[in-house]
Amino acid sequence: MLVTVYEVIGIMSAVVAVLMLGSRNVQIQLSMYAIQIWLIVAETAFFAWQYKQPHFYIIALTLLLQRAILVPLFLHGIARRLNVTRDPGMIVPAPLTMHLSVLLFGLSFFVGQHLPMPSAVSGPIVIASATGSISHLFSGLVMMLTRRLALSQIVGFLTLENGVYLFALSQTDGLPLLMEMAVFIDILGAVMIAGVLMFSIKKSFEHIDVSRLKELKH
Amino acid sequence: MNKQLLASVILVPFAVAAAMIALNQTLNMQLLASVILIPFAVASAAFLLEDLKQIGRVVAFLSWMQLGLIALIVYPLFAGQTERLWLSADFYLTRMDACFVLLTGVVASCALTHGHLFYQREMLAERPPTEKSVRFNYMFAMFFVLAMYAVYLCKNLGWLWICVEFTTLLSAPLVFFSRTKHALEATWKYLIICSVGISFALLGTLFIFASGQHGAVSGGTLRIDELIAIAPKLDPRLLRFGFIFCLLGYGTKAGMFPLHSWLPDAHSEAPAPSSALLSGSLLNCALFSIWRISEVVAASQTSTLMSNVTVWLGTITVLAASLFLIRQYSLKRLFAYSSIENVGVMLVAIGLNAGWLFFLQAVNHSIAKVSLFLLSGNIVQATGKKNLPQQTGLMASAPVWAVLMTMSAFAGTGAPPFGTFLSEWLILMKAMDQHYYVNVALVIIGLSLSFIVVCKHIGKIILGAPNPNLQYFRPLASSAIPALLVISSLCLGLFSGAALWSGTL
Repeated sequence: MLVTVYEVIGIMSAVVAVLMLGSRNVQIQLSMYAIQIWLIVAETAFFAWQYKQPHFYIIALTLLLQRAILVPLFLHGIARRLNVTRDPGMIVPAPLTMHLSVLLFGLSFFVGQHLPMPSAVSGPIVIASATGSISHLFSGLVMMLTRRLALSQIVGFLTLENGVYLFALSQTDGLPLLMEMAVFIDILGAVMIAGVLMFSIKKSFEHIDVSRLKELKH
Repeated sequence: MNKQLLASVILVPFAVAAAMIALNQTLNMQLLASVILIPFAVASAAFLLEDLKQIGRVVAFLSWMQLGLIALIVYPLFAGQTERLWLSADFYLTRMDACFVLLTGVVASCALTHGHLFYQREMLAERPPTEKSVRFNYMFAMFFVLAMYAVYLCKNLGWLWICVEFTTLLSAPLVFFSRTKHALEATWKYLIICSVGISFALLGTLFIFASGQHGAVSGGTLRIDELIAIAPKLDPRLLRFGFIFCLLGYGTKAGMFPLHSWLPDAHSEAPAPSSALLSGSLLNCALFSIWRISEVVAASQTSTLMSNVTVWLGTITVLAASLFLIRQYSLKRLFAYSSIENVGVMLVAIGLNAGWLFFLQAVNHSIAKVSLFLLSGNIVQATGKKNLPQQTGLMASAPVWAVLMTMSAFAGTGAPPFGTFLSEWLILMKAMDQHYYVNVALVIIGLSLSFIVVCKHIGKIILGAPNPNLQYFRPLASSAIPALLVISSLCLGLFSGAALWSGTL
């Protein structure tokens, strides 16, 4: 199987996302998320260079400024000010969720093989990047389902969004530039509002354990 | 000083329109610019004016003015002068979209006009909200309504997704209005569940984008009309994936059954005018997005399977919502579940590929539900309690509200002679025509169950000894908008029914 450089970077990013699930330490999670998105930025830039798609440089730059610098700093700031260090996790212990994600990585490879998507720009070899993006989706979902802290849920949500972005990049050669930018703004808005809400949750409940927000019932 | 400020704020849209006349723009562009500028005028009014009462008046006035301007813009569509109001290839209005835009406008104007009274009263409550939160609420409400208008304008799946996500972001502050623990929990759930759901809709959109890239159009397309034109050539497997993901994604935002958990929380914790907005117009937006995509699927090879899936999901939603309705202790949660039930009915209509029936049901449901939510806001304010057992004796203590509440509840649950009965009846007839016998039976069971259950709950609060805790306030002003809505629902039932039976519709 022939694999290009940009696909290798995508797979590496997916592996980092899987490893992220193994940690309960919030700071380590955030750093892992940062590495993951920096790899995605590199992948985008590589894609732009390899297939001569100059508008992807702009997308890579936006991703870099927004999701690779602004969002991790924002989340780091929140973690420091709200004084959260560890996510106890729920239902499944953290290391097990990582193993689960490894299994899901295998499943992503299987699904990726069966997606009939030869790309117009990058030719027929897209199995590896399909695997990468679907694995991101799974890791993000697992993270959102098995973590207690609001902050970890946001990291899970961002991982999921990374998966969607990679899917767009590798399977459809990306959305039109303007649309992609609007999508980024939407996601940034969601993260910012969630950040503001987290402060309020901490203020009224004195914790940001969303699994304990259960007062509203039917 | 304030008066001048007020006048200048209101004059902003007109001034810009005048400037555009000077710039030789077409009339529609001027009107459109005014429509877009009105939320900005409201935002500046909300932060410049000192008196909350005045802000309320400005918002009410500007929202009706916005509706008027929109009516002027879309008039050529209904007069038969043009088929499409063109803005660009990605954004234009057809008659169906214009109907939905007008519906959203009516819902928004009614809710915000009533909101004027609601927020005044709220300031007198035991624990009043801060002035700042009321100001923010007005501002976000107007931008939220603008985002909803934009949803109907989009003829491109990518922009559609972006606008729907914007409605989520702009309505989250509305749910957070009271700043209580409950509101916080509801907002968090709303934001996270809807954002994740919508992410899957984006994935679905990408699948549909990819499905057109294999031989159909070089580079692919996301424009609805192009997708419909090349629908038979779309890769059926990818289109199927895309539709399922979009259905799940936008379905989350519409409160489709297994993904509805955020809806009762958000609709019951938001202040009553915002609940009315969420239930009366935002659900339509989400369903409309599903309908847009189902149009593409209907033109392709895999239409039967897809309409089966949608009809069944709708049926299950109706059944589940009617079961949830049985054990409710709070008035607004009751109506939230009743909204989910109506979403189920509309999903059935979408699955049957009956666009106009979907619209008919949407109009009737929105009108009844806005009236119900506004009235329940009155009752919650008057009793100071959210739960049903503490709101009894309405007939004796607040007769006008009681009568309106009963009528709106009948309208909301689809009892004749209200419009909802007619649209539900037509949808069931259509389903029979297309041989969905089991679904029709199940939907009828669900609808009857919910009718009985809602009647039981409403009966409990209507009847009984006079309620000593209930402070009946401003009976005329507080029932004007609900009365208007109930009468329109009745008219829709009687007159569109008559037109229908005589075969002129």
